[in-house]
Amino acid sequence: MLFAVLSMTTRVSAATPIATGIGWRHPHYGALLESLPDLDFIEVHSENFFGAGGASLAVLQQARAHYAVSLHGVGLALGSASGIDPWHLDQLARLVERIEPVRVSDHACFARGALTSGRDVHAADLLPIPFNAAALSVMCANVQRVQDCLKRPLLVENLSAYVSFNGSDRTETTFLTELAARSGCSLLVDVNNIYVNALNERLAGSTADAALSCIQWLDQIPAHLVGELHVAGHVNCGDVVIDDHGSRVSGEVWQIYRHAQRRFGGVPALVEWDTDIPPLAVLLGEATKARAISNANENISEAVRA
Amino acid sequence: MSTHAIAAEVADLLHDQSLLLQSLFAGGDSAHLLARLQGNGKRAALANRGLEAYRANAGALAERALGAAYPVLAQLMGDESFAPLARYFWQHAPPQRGDVAQWGAALPDFLDAAPQLASEPFLGDVARVEWALHAAATAQDATLDAASFALLASGDPEQTTLSLSDGTTTLDSAYPVVSIVHAHLHGEPTLAQAAALLGDGIGEHALVWRRGLKPDVRLATAAEHALVRALQAGLSLDAALTTACALESDGNATAFDFNSWLAQAVQTGLVTGAHLLHPTHNTPQHRQEDTP
Repeated sequence: MLFAVLSMTTRVSAATPIATGIGWRHPHYGALLESLPDLDFIEVHSENFFGAGGASLAVLQQARAHYAVSLHGVGLALGSASGIDPWHLDQLARLVERIEPVRVSDHACFARGALTSGRDVHAADLLPIPFNAAALSVMCANVQRVQDCLKRPLLVENLSAYVSFNGSDRTETTFLTELAARSGCSLLVDVNNIYVNALNERLAGSTADAALSCIQWLDQIPAHLVGELHVAGHVNCGDVVIDDHGSRVSGEVWQIYRHAQRRFGGVPALVEWDTDIPPLAVLLGEATKARAISNANENISEAVRA
Repeated sequence: MSTHAIAAEVADLLHDQSLLLQSLFAGGDSAHLLARLQGNGKRAALANRGLEAYRANAGALAERALGAAYPVLAQLMGDESFAPLARYFWQHAPPQRGDVAQWGAALPDFLDAAPQLASEPFLGDVARVEWALHAAATAQDATLDAASFALLASGDPEQTTLSLSDGTTTLDSAYPVVSIVHAHLHGEPTLAQAAALLGDGIGEHALVWRRGLKPDVRLATAAEHALVRALQAGLSLDAALTTACALESDGNATAFDFNSWLAQAVQTGLVTGAHLLHPTHNTPQHRQEDTP
């Protein structure tokens, strides 16, 4: 529980402007370093900087001189029943030591395992886990192992999932809350992922209002567990909704995000854009919108407190 | 829930995860998996569509990842051949690390063994050069230890050797691999000139190393190739030069001027210093840990 206490004490205080950042991807490496826009932090995918040296790492270290950096992993596979790859953890630990990130995060998913041939594989994707005692046990052990190695708390992000295993015996929010309570990790709540899941639930036959479902989801998460929010775009293919991070944040997601910031008391927020990446100015415009919503909420909260 | 019950559920979880991975990588009959997924009716349709989405994402990722490591191979084969190659290779030699940039090292051998590519036997060596460049791009940054070169004059010749930058690789190819790679990446020589060398059956020695932050490849002589190989094998500089000069005396190489070579090798970052093979307490001042 020590990590949980530390995490709570480092949360942004109510009077502090809410930190806003962007996912910093290769097409924007040069543009960001040239213009040094007003951002509170940038977030990179940890695995893109796992090398022992080289140009990418040098560029990240250059950016680190100007910005706080959040390391967001996509490959730890915290929900893999086969455990954490020690090689992966070693690379991450070395990167954390070099970059001294403001946060380190990954996903509540699995990706590692063995094929029926016995061959070990990594799917390089964020594959869903059931919400039950076994998956919770696996997740807690893996998160604990990572936290012990890094000597800092992790943030764990909720998924957008396109299949669901049988065997869930609790809700996703209960699962994540238990995970945080048992392992001492914080939660990274991806607002777009909740909305994508809610839209896919409707495609699967649910009649629940998608936005309302998301509000209920957020209301079930204890506010003190949340350390960061993500927003991004998605694509509706008609027969499935995909979290492709390839467009502007939708109006509905902004509305849910507004609720999330009110509920969680103002936490760092990040705009992700990973496919069909637009000019940096477009992404910065989305970050400005996220910041405006966060701070408008904060002003309302301050007014109420006064 | 008891510990025993959770252990049984973890075993089920391991099995379910294996089923999903099997379905994504091997395709085929997903009946066992679908029985473990939620749904009937619309939910079952969504599950099938979801599996399709995961497979599509994997295929696109395979193309991007392999294309990033093998840009010349992608040009040589064209999108219409390279894209299906990437997807096939993803399924048959799947990634094992969570960093997809680590995936693809086995491609050169795969190309050599592919009967469909038997008419283009040079592709494997082109891929070897490209993977060496890909690996060198993230190798440890080199630091020049200029003072250590004093060992070349003062050290025991049988114990003194050169330090090469991390990521250095040599390849003795029966094909003009350096010309092919440079023609595609830099336009020099021209594609026609590279094709002519290929047609004439010219082989080349490739030397891949890190020039500062940038991975580079250049043509090496047979003697230089032998020298670098010997240094990498842990031989003293004297022994390595003997190996290189033996080639020279066989008439297989042009005259090898070590002093000129060393000056250029240091200037371009290939050689980063000198060190003793077995440092002793008597010679501590130039000891260096990063032996090649």
